[in-house]
Amino acid sequence: MPLLTLTTFLPILGGLALMALPDRSARVAHGLSIAVTGLVFLLTLVIWSRGIVPGGFAQIEETAWIPAIGAAYRLGLDGLSLPLVLLTSLLFFLSAIYSARISDRAPSYVVLMLMLETASLGTFMALDGLLFYVFFEVSLVGMYFMIAGWGYEDRQRAALMFFLYTLLGSLPLLLAIIGLYLGSGTFDMRVWIDMPPLSGLAAMLALTAMLFTFAVKIPAFPVHTWLPAAHVQAPTAGSVILAGVMLKFGTYGLVRFALQMTPEAFAQAGQVILAVGVVSALYGAFAALAQTDLKKMVAYTSINHMGYVVIGVAVAAMSMDPRIRTIALDGATLQLISHGLVTGALFFLLGMLQDRAHTRDMGEFGGLLGRVPWLGWAFILSAFASLGLPGLAHFPAEFQVFLATLNTAPWAIIAILAIVVTAGLYLRAIAAVFLGVKNEKWTDMPDLDRREKLVIVPLLILTILVGVSPGWLIDMIHTTMASLSF
Amino acid sequence: MGRDLSFLLPELLLASVAFLMIVAEMARAARLVLVIGLAGLAAATLLTLPVLHADTTVFSGTYRIDLISGWAKLILLPGTALALLMVRAEIAGQDREGSVYALICLVTLGALMLAGGGDMMLLVLGVVLTGLGSFALVAFPRDDAATEAAMKYLVFGAVTGSVMIYGLTFWFGGAGSTLFSALAVLADKPLISIAGLVAVIIGLGYKAALVPFHFWAPDAYDGAPVSVAAYLSVITKLAAILAFAQVLRDMPDDSNWRLVIALIAAVTMTYGYLTALVQTNLVRLIAYSSIAQSGYFLLGIVALGASSLAVPGLIVLGAAYVAMNLGAFAVIMIAGRTLDDMRGFGRLRPITGVAMVIFLLSLTGIPPLFGFVGKVYLFTAAVESGYLWLAVIGILNSVLALGVYLRIVVPMYRPAPDGETGPEKSLHPALAVVIGVAAIVTLGMGLLAGFLPG
Repeated sequence: MPLLTLTTFLPILGGLALMALPDRSARVAHGLSIAVTGLVFLLTLVIWSRGIVPGGFAQIEETAWIPAIGAAYRLGLDGLSLPLVLLTSLLFFLSAIYSARISDRAPSYVVLMLMLETASLGTFMALDGLLFYVFFEVSLVGMYFMIAGWGYEDRQRAALMFFLYTLLGSLPLLLAIIGLYLGSGTFDMRVWIDMPPLSGLAAMLALTAMLFTFAVKIPAFPVHTWLPAAHVQAPTAGSVILAGVMLKFGTYGLVRFALQMTPEAFAQAGQVILAVGVVSALYGAFAALAQTDLKKMVAYTSINHMGYVVIGVAVAAMSMDPRIRTIALDGATLQLISHGLVTGALFFLLGMLQDRAHTRDMGEFGGLLGRVPWLGWAFILSAFASLGLPGLAHFPAEFQVFLATLNTAPWAIIAILAIVVTAGLYLRAIAAVFLGVKNEKWTDMPDLDRREKLVIVPLLILTILVGVSPGWLIDMIHTTMASLSF
Repeated sequence: MGRDLSFLLPELLLASVAFLMIVAEMARAARLVLVIGLAGLAAATLLTLPVLHADTTVFSGTYRIDLISGWAKLILLPGTALALLMVRAEIAGQDREGSVYALICLVTLGALMLAGGGDMMLLVLGVVLTGLGSFALVAFPRDDAATEAAMKYLVFGAVTGSVMIYGLTFWFGGAGSTLFSALAVLADKPLISIAGLVAVIIGLGYKAALVPFHFWAPDAYDGAPVSVAAYLSVITKLAAILAFAQVLRDMPDDSNWRLVIALIAAVTMTYGYLTALVQTNLVRLIAYSSIAQSGYFLLGIVALGASSLAVPGLIVLGAAYVAMNLGAFAVIMIAGRTLDDMRGFGRLRPITGVAMVIFLLSLTGIPPLFGFVGKVYLFTAAVESGYLWLAVIGILNSVLALGVYLRIVVPMYRPAPDGETGPEKSLHPALAVVIGVAAIVTLGMGLLAGFLPG
């Protein structure tokens, strides 16, 4: 059974079904959305149980698409994409539950969410360059309408900037894909990975184009400027998907395309890419420290966390020792999942806070922990995870990345300073919002209701589980990373 | 003779249908004219299918039956049928309604000649036939704007047409034949080949609205009825582009014509979108954006003979362009001629609104829509023939394009001025058909692009 195809297109089919329904009330729309995303999540668990293989892609589904130019419909999975697929289906399921309170044009909202889920799953599963690009771009369109339609005060400008910026960012990738195609005569990504078709100057040009695209998406300094605006204005579920899923397109592409398809050029440019990672990690942390808007603060910490991923991938490319390479890539990939869980939880919590207070400014709060203990403790746990506390999700990932960095490019370890900064900024935020003098304005603030707990608790459990015993996840990632040839 | 005629059945049928339409118009039976036209176009499309995969010439090499002319018929004939429906929705019941239908079919006949012509005389004939009909179509409303636009169009056409004929005499003199296939002998006569080339670029560049021969286009589109503007912006433009392909296929490489075309392409794309960015009149906005679209077609012309994807790319983007541009114009006919008219449109008419978003995103080149497939073909062809810089400019312009088309999309989802909502009002049935067909083609052919030529 073509389970991957079914999983990818089930959401959009659900969206089409919703458009065809005679009764399109908010209730029906959200019910359908939860049912479809829940089913997709279960399907991805079945896909997980079917397993992956070392040294290549598993569960391949292939059929002709545009034979004239060697583009085909090809899906498959390995240890890099499978964890991301699981993360995607989980976050969309939780977002669907969270979004059930949205009543403004609910059917359109649900259709967009489902379209985004199809695009995101497709991006991670595609094994055809053109197909990848199609899914990659469709996600932009979906996110544009999501921000423009359901965002906050300044949504039109933020949405426009997001769309123009990321389209400009993604078009160089199209050129790189065309270059890879002209070098190989096919769009099959497996061929591109097994026998990198470009070399010399062509490979360096293709790598530059890809790095530009993925750096915008990651986002890495200095092409990160679209992120704070988009995040702050996006509706809560949009922020969760943007941070939890769509930022991963950048880092996923960095490994899948840049590292695997132009390995030699990547190794040559290793120092530059490493420097970009280090600067992003430090810059993201310091910029976050300067924010008083909580959502903007968390958005900037994403730049910091993704910086560690870039460092990990660059170190893997530069290292000669296969063991170190594997550790670096294991850590970088695990970091993607940890970031999805932890930042997903943080954006959900900030959304819940904003639903209650209609402000995101740290200074407006104070002493909330006694008022809303569920919200408070959940935020504190997620914040600790985000700053890399041992026993929580980010620690095993960042530990591996720094281990490999120390071994290969010791100077880059200065990025570890960023952890101190993030620790400071999270403690400051916790102190300002949840501790300290009680602000009388919020005495009536209700704590999390059942639906909100349902959204947040799975993420917290996974945050602890990945922190305490990451073995099951690392094994999955390791299957592929240990056998990666580049 | 019999063989030659059998290959020309679609053209012959269209010619006879056009005359039948004129006869019916004499009886003032506009509805009948429309029915004859639609039936004739459908029949001609069906007659094209058996000869689609032929690759030959008829009448001593003057008329080409090949991939380009075959697909031109398959695209232009149904496109013309959609345009007739749009005209019906706009001017039904007006005086001279039937004449418009008949003129449109005659112009399409000229367009087919341009796309299939393998000879300089046919090229001239095609330019004249499409031109004369178009001038009259633009002047249809008989008001000041339309008259001025038609005059501008006519004067421009007369001058560029004469220059083209003058330049073609150089080619005839140098090659000793009016056949394009004889142009290869000009390989060692660069001056002669450049003289003719410049002339053809002027003549066809005017028809395709390339910069700097585009000045007539925004005025003509704005002065003409919207449906006629839609027709002119797709059918005659695509015909001119395909005629370019027929002429330049046989050009020897040494006259640097690729570089010349590439420069025109870069200027046309950039100028078209930059100018579209500041328009507030929707018809003019789309007019300037169609100028930019012509620039994208030139990527395929640049790659002719150097990349196997050039001709398929022209055909794919051509088919996509006909569907998405006609669709966008059809929505403008419902909404109104200015950007302000789009305000709240997506909320008032959700289904038509989604169709408009599909057309505009496809014009931008966003996957998986049809326009994206066409652009991928043409970008690949340009890179393969060594014009990476042109592909880069094309790609940068796609961002400008997004800026242009989002200027329409953004107000569509603002609250309507009078806050009116509710179930979608019914459309004119002819427009509903046009928008439906265009949307299905734009979305469906993007997904099923495998059926396209290659």
